[in-house]
Amino acid sequence: MKAKKLAALAASAVMAASLAAPVMADEATSAADDAALSAEDLNVMFETPVESLDPQQATDGTSFEVIADYTDGLMQMDADGKPVPAIAESDEVSDDGLTWTFHLREDAKWSNGTPVTAADFVFAWQRAVDPDIASEYSYMLSDIGQVKNAASIIAGDMDKSELGVTAVDDYTLQVELEAPVSYFESLMYFPTFYPVNEEFYNSVGDTFATSPETTLSNGAFILDSYEPAATEIHLTKNPDYYDADRVKLAGIDYQVIQDSQTALMSYQSGALDMTLVNGDQVDQVKDDPEFSAIAAGYLWYVAPNISAVPELDNLNIRMALTMAINRQDITELVLKDGSKPTYTAVPMDFATGPDGTDFSADQTMFSNVCADDATQAAEFWQKGLDELGISSLELEMVVDADDAPQKVAAVLQQEWQDTLPGLTITLKVEPKKQRVQDMQDGNFQLGLTRWGPDYADPMTYLGMWVTGNSNNYGLWSNADYDSIIEECTTGDLATDAEGRWAKLYDAEKIVMDDAVIFPLYTQSNAQMTKSNVTGVEFHPVALNRVYKDAVKSE
Amino acid sequence: MAETNRPAAAAAAAAAAPYVPTAEDFTFKNESAIEIDSNFASQSFWKDVRIRFRRKKSAVAGLIFVIILTLMAIFGPWMNSYSYYKQDLTAANLAPRIPGIERLGIFDGSETMHTTSGGATVVNGYDTDARRNTYYWFGTDRYGRDIWTRTWSGTRVSLIIAVVATIIDMVIGLSYGLISGYFGGKVDIIMQRILEVANGIPRLVIVTLLLLILKPGMLTIIVALMLTEWVGMSRIARAEMLKLKEQEFVQASRTLGAGSLHIIFREILPNIIGPVITQVMFSIPTAIFTEAFLSFVGLGIPVPQCSLGSLISDGYNSFTTHPYQIIPPIIVMALLMLSFNLIADGLREALDPKMKEM
Amino acid sequence: MKKYVLKRIVTAVMTLLVILLVLFILMQLMPGSPFNDEKLNDSQRAALYAKYGLDKPVLVQFVNYVKNMLTGDFGVSYNISKNTPISQLIRTRLPISIGIGGAAVALGAIVGLILGLIAAFHHDTILDTICTIISVIGVSVPSYVFALLLSYQFGFRLGWFPMLFDAKHALDSSVLPSVSLSMFTMATIARFTRSEMLEVLDSEYMLLAESKGMSGAPLIFHHALRNALIPIITVLAPLIVDLMTGSLVVEKIYAIPGVGSLLVNAIQSNDYNVVISLAFIYSAMYIGIMLAVDILYGVIDPRIRLAKEDG
Repeated sequence: MKAKKLAALAASAVMAASLAAPVMADEATSAADDAALSAEDLNVMFETPVESLDPQQATDGTSFEVIADYTDGLMQMDADGKPVPAIAESDEVSDDGLTWTFHLREDAKWSNGTPVTAADFVFAWQRAVDPDIASEYSYMLSDIGQVKNAASIIAGDMDKSELGVTAVDDYTLQVELEAPVSYFESLMYFPTFYPVNEEFYNSVGDTFATSPETTLSNGAFILDSYEPAATEIHLTKNPDYYDADRVKLAGIDYQVIQDSQTALMSYQSGALDMTLVNGDQVDQVKDDPEFSAIAAGYLWYVAPNISAVPELDNLNIRMALTMAINRQDITELVLKDGSKPTYTAVPMDFATGPDGTDFSADQTMFSNVCADDATQAAEFWQKGLDELGISSLELEMVVDADDAPQKVAAVLQQEWQDTLPGLTITLKVEPKKQRVQDMQDGNFQLGLTRWGPDYADPMTYLGMWVTGNSNNYGLWSNADYDSIIEECTTGDLATDAEGRWAKLYDAEKIVMDDAVIFPLYTQSNAQMTKSNVTGVEFHPVALNRVYKDAVKSE
Repeated sequence: MAETNRPAAAAAAAAAAPYVPTAEDFTFKNESAIEIDSNFASQSFWKDVRIRFRRKKSAVAGLIFVIILTLMAIFGPWMNSYSYYKQDLTAANLAPRIPGIERLGIFDGSETMHTTSGGATVVNGYDTDARRNTYYWFGTDRYGRDIWTRTWSGTRVSLIIAVVATIIDMVIGLSYGLISGYFGGKVDIIMQRILEVANGIPRLVIVTLLLLILKPGMLTIIVALMLTEWVGMSRIARAEMLKLKEQEFVQASRTLGAGSLHIIFREILPNIIGPVITQVMFSIPTAIFTEAFLSFVGLGIPVPQCSLGSLISDGYNSFTTHPYQIIPPIIVMALLMLSFNLIADGLREALDPKMKEM
Repeated sequence: MKKYVLKRIVTAVMTLLVILLVLFILMQLMPGSPFNDEKLNDSQRAALYAKYGLDKPVLVQFVNYVKNMLTGDFGVSYNISKNTPISQLIRTRLPISIGIGGAAVALGAIVGLILGLIAAFHHDTILDTICTIISVIGVSVPSYVFALLLSYQFGFRLGWFPMLFDAKHALDSSVLPSVSLSMFTMATIARFTRSEMLEVLDSEYMLLAESKGMSGAPLIFHHALRNALIPIITVLAPLIVDLMTGSLVVEKIYAIPGVGSLLVNAIQSNDYNVVISLAFIYSAMYIGIMLAVDILYGVIDPRIRLAKEDG
């Protein structure tokens, strides 16, 4: 329908143009394309400002999105989130899975005219593990990417030049790994792995990536208006992009709006083409065809401090707590942003298995240990209280001082207290940085927290509950579990996709049976996109929005 | 004074000729223009203040409102069967519905929803069999809690916080200001420098830090408010002290051998009670307001408890969707602010006799 | 006179130094750390602490900070805008905050003055009460509600003014935020003007002026207002500073890239350098303005100067 309309518009424009200037036929057709497309920028709302445009320093979705607008890595995401070639034309992996070779395209250029070469990647990756740079996402190369020597360099035991990445020639990049990583290609679209031109970097020094003049583009757009923590960011189409024909937008104009009502009003008045919508405003927009819910990937869950709180060490108490939660009510009646109730330790819609289905498609898999079941919860509760020989229990839950977590916590508090007699829940609301610190220090009883996937594999979640992992807040420990995870990461199963997949379910079952976490929901973001805007790709992992195929028509 | 002489003069003139005085001769000619100088009446200072305060209509109205709102804060939450914390997610976001008045077509539980897909639809959440006979007088919030009950229990919390914080800051500010002003010299210089430092640091930084360090709750908020308000009070106390300390009664007391503490708190304090009370009346609304601001930046009272500030900041998010949720706390808060300010204005004028002739 | 000014400046600088030290100590009390992403492990965090010198004792950090500050280096942001020098971060934001705050103070002061004058001259009449109510209403509704109301009515429904701040159209996009911010100033100035005017009108020299046959505008402006103005300016001065930093809620609603929201974000994300720098700038402005007012007073009124020189 939309395509037809577009085509018709284009056709009429072609006719008009060719009548007016029959001699310059070539230019007329390109002008015709422009007529169907809007000459205006795409106006997009951001909730938070960019934290850093340095690809090796950035850690948040907002920054990643902007960086990816003007920088291409070896790989890029296709509409389904699969890695497809970008700067790398092709790649191959050795039989043992330890050596990757990427062949770079020769027509990719930085916006100052110098070609993008393998050396740019070597320089960038070395920055990522350089202790002087202290990149927060250096673990993408070490723990997750298993790049050779990365961990030792981060720890300061080796020089960064010993990192397992080499430029064989200008257009061949070779990477050596410590262990085979099945998802290595999909890491390549993660901005931490994006190239930086050494010569340019040295010429701007410390000011790198703090203004349009100190950034270089090799991607679909060029950054032309930005200042640190800006509320407005502007990018224009890059005419020298190797794939410039594909890019249909004239530019992107980002506006940071922290107030959700202002954002929605701006959208309605036409100042924005895309905006996020807060659950409180969903009543106004839910019947609008421009409204949709976009999977955000985050799993929200409650972590009990199993090791420090004796009552929470009791399995029946934990079972009672997880069963007493009415996840359906939380997502449908309170959040209303399309978030999905989740009953598994790995959230939905981000990891597709060898058979092509979502790892967590079946949400009833653990219904005997995780369900919205108040009656069973009360039974578990009574059993737990009897075992502990107590009749009442007071627990405190730490919660982020943000909108959604506070709403969820308010409901959890009520549901738990209603369903489980004798239970008193107090909420400790604090800024996120402090909440994370409290949980890492073990200074909490219950904690409402979230985890976003770093790569499209269940391991990004299951790896968390290994003994000693810093995100295993409750200090839970299970030897069987540890050995399964070990086996799937570096052991025999690392190269056997199907066998590994099956084993991962075994691991998940241990976590669920032991109620190590109380999963709540997989986050979605309610958003609106104007009907004349199409082709924006949304992803729950790495890059939230990609605009390379986006079209804004008149 | 001039007016009181006039009848006497008339009487003297009348004495020249035989004249039988009538009752009319003993009344004032133009009564409305005459002020009885109350300085000469043998009334106590406070009785005087009371009379002057009563004469100020706006101040009396303020006082009445404060009394009504306080009573509602005490009894309001018990006027229906709902509690301030009980959630009913299926009854969330219901518009106000009041028995009786609903027949007039207002407060009948219906609300107009302005949707983005154009136009406005009227919805009524009470149109189900289960809720045919349910009434939420002020409607419900996003968790289905009764806004009536929450508004009044929020008023209660806000009032307690404001009054307690103000009293404590009065005690601290007064002592600080009086001591600093009384001793003067080095003591004064040092104490004023400390005050300057305390005042020079943005309030927001101090308050946020405090709320992060201490356990969140009513007490913490009171401490935070106290910390920001005592400076004003101490300034006033010091200024008054400087004015009074050289006066005869103080020197007399000192000559008689009274100690510093005795002079400060027994001799001077009673004499500056007027400006202090006025300042307190101005401080209470400021405290209510500051608490509301803290709620908005996420440093308010812990849930499910509520204050006017937290109710407003909750309702704020639904402002364009369900405006009725923010209206009751806003109105109560505005009334409180206005009333306390009117009382303060009235008190200031009543306590300051020099203004009364105006 | 010179001696007095010099003395005041020296104490102001000392006060600022003490404030800076207090800020440093407060930062140490702050729970949590700037590097607290859930994805960070201990060794990475240690590396980050070492990188920014946060592993050193407070006093060393303080001395280093003061040393750097004297060369104009306020350090870098840790997480709001990673590794960006604070000076760069503030350079563009401070003028915007000062602009909007200044406009709000001006607007609030003018309207407040008028309301206060009306109230004073019609003391104890219905007009007085109305003026009081108008000025109090301004502070009865939290500024964020007021700001949203303005935005909804004049930005969204009527479309008279833009809802979002736009540096390219700074003038018309500053109208709504300035109006929302001016309420507090307006109320304070109105109340103060009223009481000051009442006092002045009651004073002996007003009686004298009146008995000399003066009346109307010359009486009000030459005698009454002039004398009431000095204390009003004293109240106004700190308000200016407050408005420049205290506008965070309004900044959020109108998407203004100012310093108020920066300060709150910094506090909540433990971005020490940003908090210290902004708080320090605030203190410096505050103390600077108080100093200016003090010196100005000394110039205007020799009695104050002499009294202070003695003390």
